[in-house]
Amino acid sequence: MAEVVFWVAALLALLGGVGVVVSRQPIRSVLSLVVVMLALAVLFLLLSAQFVFVVQIIVYAGAVMVLFLFVIALLGPIKESAQGRLRLQFTASVIVILIMGGFFWVMLNGVQFRAPQNPAPGVFGTVEQIGVALFTSYLYPFELTSVLLLVAAVGAIYLSRVDKGTPGE
Amino acid sequence: MNNGLLHLGSSTLASSDFLILAGLLFLLGAVGVLVRRNPIVILVCIELMLNAANLTLITFARQQGNLDGQIFALLTMVVAAAEAVIGLAVLVDIFGARELDDIDDLSELNG
Repeated sequence: MAEVVFWVAALLALLGGVGVVVSRQPIRSVLSLVVVMLALAVLFLLLSAQFVFVVQIIVYAGAVMVLFLFVIALLGPIKESAQGRLRLQFTASVIVILIMGGFFWVMLNGVQFRAPQNPAPGVFGTVEQIGVALFTSYLYPFELTSVLLLVAAVGAIYLSRVDKGTPGE
Repeated sequence: MNNGLLHLGSSTLASSDFLILAGLLFLLGAVGVLVRRNPIVILVCIELMLNAANLTLITFARQQGNLDGQIFALLTMVVAAAEAVIGLAVLVDIFGARELDDIDDLSELNG
């Protein structure tokens, strides 16, 4: 049963990934990425990461992708001229990708896959466990992410302001 | 000792299956960043690569029976959200103010 779920989700993720790259219109790329994210969410559930599964669907496939759609609607169509300005862009890209794929191939052959030391119990990756870990061992990085989000929010508001003059003028 | 099998219920999926899928998705994202010239599509491809990285983190978390990888994946999602917000704000600022065809027109810094 798990194999069937894995292969269906993996196929959907790969098809969505191809759709992201080859779509002519940006809105199709974004919608293909939503497909990839939902398929990956299913795989997360298969790997018993329940909380990450929920966050992936709500935050990523929901909020972040809606942000992308808003920006596409705001900017209107951006043309992509057929003729690239960089010479040999495509050829160089193919070479880089082949090298990178070769590295992945060699690395995957070199990894020592081993069975989990303790077979995961039924409560692995629950909200309770994630919450305890976040608020004890990982409290410092967790608090740092709040600063990061605040900086991102302030920066986005500053960048998208229409009037760039000093406030109070 | 079976090699890297994940014991999901009655089935035996190997963690290498998940890692190969993540590698392929990462490569697809890299192709998009290198080949496409629409800035929104480039940002979408970066998100695709971040998602592939998340899949490897969660696969290794499951293989080791350890929650650290899942926490790492959650923090990656936060960073990715911040990156998307700033990237899209810069895009709106640049492409809303000027008439540009695609990202090749942003060549003022070309010496």
